[in-house]
Amino acid sequence: MAHNPACERFWPELSPYIDGELDPSSRVQLERHLSACSHCSALVDDFRAEGGLIRLGLDMAADEADFTGFAQNVLARVTPERPPFFERLRISFDEFFTHHRSMVLTSVATAAAVLLVGLPIFLLQGAPQGYAGETMELQAVRVAEEAHVQPVVLEAEAEEATIIWLVDQEGPRRHDDEDFQHHVLPGASGRDAPRPKGGEL
Amino acid sequence: MATDDLTLVKRVRTGDQRAFRTLVERYQRKVYAVALGMLKDREEAMDVSQEAFVKVHKYLDQFKGDSSFYTWLYRITTNICIDVLRKRKSAGGHAAEFDETIQVNLSEASAGTLGSRLGTNPQKSALRRELVEKIQAALEQVPEKHRTILLLREVEGMSYEELARTLEIPKGTVMSRLFHARAKVQKILSEYLELDESKVGIGSE
Repeated sequence: MAHNPACERFWPELSPYIDGELDPSSRVQLERHLSACSHCSALVDDFRAEGGLIRLGLDMAADEADFTGFAQNVLARVTPERPPFFERLRISFDEFFTHHRSMVLTSVATAAAVLLVGLPIFLLQGAPQGYAGETMELQAVRVAEEAHVQPVVLEAEAEEATIIWLVDQEGPRRHDDEDFQHHVLPGASGRDAPRPKGGEL
Repeated sequence: MATDDLTLVKRVRTGDQRAFRTLVERYQRKVYAVALGMLKDREEAMDVSQEAFVKVHKYLDQFKGDSSFYTWLYRITTNICIDVLRKRKSAGGHAAEFDETIQVNLSEASAGTLGSRLGTNPQKSALRRELVEKIQAALEQVPEKHRTILLLREVEGMSYEELARTLEIPKGTVMSRLFHARAKVQKILSEYLELDESKVGIGSE
């Protein structure tokens, strides 16, 4: 089939014409040419047929392929094998620590601070030393014969009277009871005093 | 009634593996067909097809739904194929270059051979089968970049704008490559049909 040399200027437009990509004015001119040129018109038919054959050919090639296990293989790749329980636990802890590191560290620090401060307080339970934290046990109460005492009664919270004997500094001082000396007000001299009468409480 | 793609995609996003399996089985053949057309190797096409679905699963959250799922899947498949072809080229693989400055002489080919020889005549069914096989062989003779663009256009239906964007080439180059690819295939098939016609005496109708 012979062609007109003038056809060659239309050849580059055949592809976009078939694909609907040609601008309107160029399409009009080409269609006018196609109506008059059997060679170019036949080429358009051939190009269109090629497209159908390509699609058909690929479909036929796909028919010949074996897709047994294809989907299973894909799923195996997107769904990794589940690790053992302890491994999953370890991974979970690792991931938790990685993504919540600051929160974990803050929690640990807070717990440590609470233990360091709170635990001693809990163990001591009550007023610190030197503030009547210890229970004093009276071993004995003795009064010097010549002592001039004036009892001072202090009422405790439990409504139990606490009596404190004040020893006059001029009176004789006990010498054989060291413990008693500790109960004497500061400033008392170390003068010997006879053992006061009265038994032990 | 088959569940539509968008519904299946939503289910996959919630972790429904059965929905993903349905999508795979629905499009595995078409994806393979595109990959085979571009790569010409059946094993590699099968590997690329699986890789395409794996990537689809991985990046499913990025699918916005502005195009069909099928189109998006095709894009991923062709991008993987293009990467494979580039690696082949950089590895020193054979890449037949086509000089686009050489004018294709369409006058040498018998125009209208394909269009007129394909019809409803039952005798042409066998011819159609042969033509299909021949076109696969013809595609192998077309240079990679021309074959790629021809397949993207014919199978995926990409516009010239999309082709230019996907392949990172000017629109004019898209038009030129398509024209040369089609002309090459047309010439090969016409020569085959002329030879066939002379051997068996099949006339055109």
